[in-house]
Amino acid sequence: MAVLTRKKKPTSVFEKLSDETWRRKFLRNVIIPWIFISPLLIIHIFVVAIPAVQGVYMSLTDWTGIGMNVNFVGLDNYHRLFFEDETFGKSLGNNVIWMAFFLTVPFILALFCAAMLAQVKRGGMLYRSILFIPYVLASVVTTTIWKNLLNPRQGIGAALDNMLGLEDVFGVAFLGRPESALISIAFIDNWHFWGFLMILFLAAMQSIPPVLYDAAKIDGANRWQEFRHVTLPGIRPVMLFMYMMVAIWSFLAFDYIFLLTQGGPAGASEVIATQLYKNAFFRFQAGYGAAQGVVISIFAGFIIMIFVTLRRRGWDI
Amino acid sequence: MKGIKFLFVIAILAMALAPVGAQDVSTVTMWFAEGSTLDCWGPIMLEFNDIDPSVQLEIVPQADTWNVTRTAVAGGGGPDIVRTPGPSYAYELAEAGLIAPMDAFADEMGWGDFFFDWALDLGLVNGQLYSLADELETLLLYYNTDVFEANGWTPPDTMEELNALGEEAAAAGYVVFSHGNASWRGTNEWFVGEYMTQLAGPHKVYQALTGQLPWTDESMVEAVEQLDAHMQAGWYGGGIDLYFTNEGTTRRAMLADGTAAMNIEGSWAIRGLEEYHGESGQGWDWVPVPSHDGTDYFTIGMGNTSSINANSPHPEAAAQFLNWYFSPATQGKMLTSCRKGPAPVAISEDVMGDLDPRVARVYAELSDASANDRYGYTTWTFWSPSGFNYIIEEIERVWVGDITVMDYLEGLDTLMAGELEAGNLPPIPSR
Repeated sequence: MAVLTRKKKPTSVFEKLSDETWRRKFLRNVIIPWIFISPLLIIHIFVVAIPAVQGVYMSLTDWTGIGMNVNFVGLDNYHRLFFEDETFGKSLGNNVIWMAFFLTVPFILALFCAAMLAQVKRGGMLYRSILFIPYVLASVVTTTIWKNLLNPRQGIGAALDNMLGLEDVFGVAFLGRPESALISIAFIDNWHFWGFLMILFLAAMQSIPPVLYDAAKIDGANRWQEFRHVTLPGIRPVMLFMYMMVAIWSFLAFDYIFLLTQGGPAGASEVIATQLYKNAFFRFQAGYGAAQGVVISIFAGFIIMIFVTLRRRGWDI
Repeated sequence: MKGIKFLFVIAILAMALAPVGAQDVSTVTMWFAEGSTLDCWGPIMLEFNDIDPSVQLEIVPQADTWNVTRTAVAGGGGPDIVRTPGPSYAYELAEAGLIAPMDAFADEMGWGDFFFDWALDLGLVNGQLYSLADELETLLLYYNTDVFEANGWTPPDTMEELNALGEEAAAAGYVVFSHGNASWRGTNEWFVGEYMTQLAGPHKVYQALTGQLPWTDESMVEAVEQLDAHMQAGWYGGGIDLYFTNEGTTRRAMLADGTAAMNIEGSWAIRGLEEYHGESGQGWDWVPVPSHDGTDYFTIGMGNTSSINANSPHPEAAAQFLNWYFSPATQGKMLTSCRKGPAPVAISEDVMGDLDPRVARVYAELSDASANDRYGYTTWTFWSPSGFNYIIEEIERVWVGDITVMDYLEGLDTLMAGELEAGNLPPIPSR
């Protein structure tokens, strides 16, 4: 009679290393994956991790951005940022306005258009392409186009005034007035951005099983009810993910603002990133600029934390 | 066999001698912004290569030249000739040990013989010469001669006359000063420095820069208040909001087509004026920016500086190029061919004779003002980067009514006191 014996599982390190099966398993499950990921990891360490740590260190110094004359100043830069620099609060406020704008206007536009386009059976690709084109334009191109369009002397407003025989009615300097500069830039950035959001929502809507709509129809749901009870829950993970991304991007807003007004007039469109750039590259206060960069990262981390918490609580994100 | 040996010896000799030949040529690199300036300057600068085959200049076109240069230089690389946007930038590089002192070359090549005395002083850091200033510039009051003739106006000498003329021009429907800062926000600082110089006087500006007078002095307050009054009256660009949206091209076009009567801008504008007025067919001329008492003060500015990279393998060759480039002959040629603002060197009167008299007069008057204590200070040359950035950014808050002129000057005073104490101001030539 054959006796079945179970092979003893290696427990100590020595036993494990001398066990052929364990060695193969370890190689397959641990070593090989690390070998595959190592090129990316090494690049990440050098391109992201080390500069990030350096950035944090530089934020504790008075580095000018030139040479290596660096003096450790502790938390002085942060103290100046939160307690002495009046413009920081204003810039932060502008970032919040920017975020509020981008968490509403492009989302409403994109949802509405995606819902409309989802119904289009013929020529849908053409509409999608047309609406997506602004997204692929470089920010320099977009801002140049809009700078010209909004120019109060030569833009569309001036042309309308000329056509209607009016004087300075439509030819308004939207980018030259403190009360309208920031929102005008947000409008231009949104013109470029919302098509991207619309395509994402449309793709998410098209992945919703049609049977759900059929069931809703059988239950007597109208279009609005279908949208509210089938479409919105169906695209919720994409929407919430984009909410998180847009909230983070709002703290990184830079190119459109810098290209259109450089934060002016009179700081009306200043945000943290434009301030950071000016401190680091115009005023030779790279250490202070680094502190602003760290603060932006902390805000972004805070937003991510909110979403991670929600996910842990069972939200479908 | 002998043949093979002979060939072998020849090959060895050729290999040994080839590097010697290559080492004989020192290539001096210079990074330069792409564009029309390089198109005109480049061929003239490359004429240097005909003088001595062992020293050759290589111009590398770069976008965003200053940022690229300082990043490369900080990393131990970069071109042999390091160009910066002004003395305050060169000062930072020198403090960081990234550019080399040039005193030995200056003595050996006699730079003191052709540079103005104060000009070499601008490049001193801790008593050593680190940079050579280039592109001498000043601010002028340009005007459209057709508009002036049609209205029977004469160019103003004093601020009082300018105020009267401005009111008349505005009433006649002209934009008083064709201006706007949409293309270059730094435009703001031209006026702050200019009004301070013309109304408070260059001596007071000097005293304030050297910490002997507060920036809140009554004369400074009056100067900035006068600028604010002009701005509030809509004299600049046709209104404050239009000033913030007018591009550089609009600025040129408005003066050239007679929409605007005048323009306060630097001597660098002449090339653009020639182009735009050439197209419109209307004339232009200039006078010194009016002062409080009619004295012709000229603020002095430098468009950029040149230094030798501390890590350059050929500092002597680089100095040789700088010696040729800054010579009055080369500067004169670049002035006549490209309207380049010359370096602060003594250019012969023969060269000036070939120029448009309006252009020649700029440099003759500037030279006269220099010699007779009538020179003032442009903010981008004599203020620290923090100082002139404050001037640029915060003056807009005065114009839109966020802060008062006194608030503005108090902020400037606090900042400049700190900069002076920290030794961050570029050298101010004593007067």
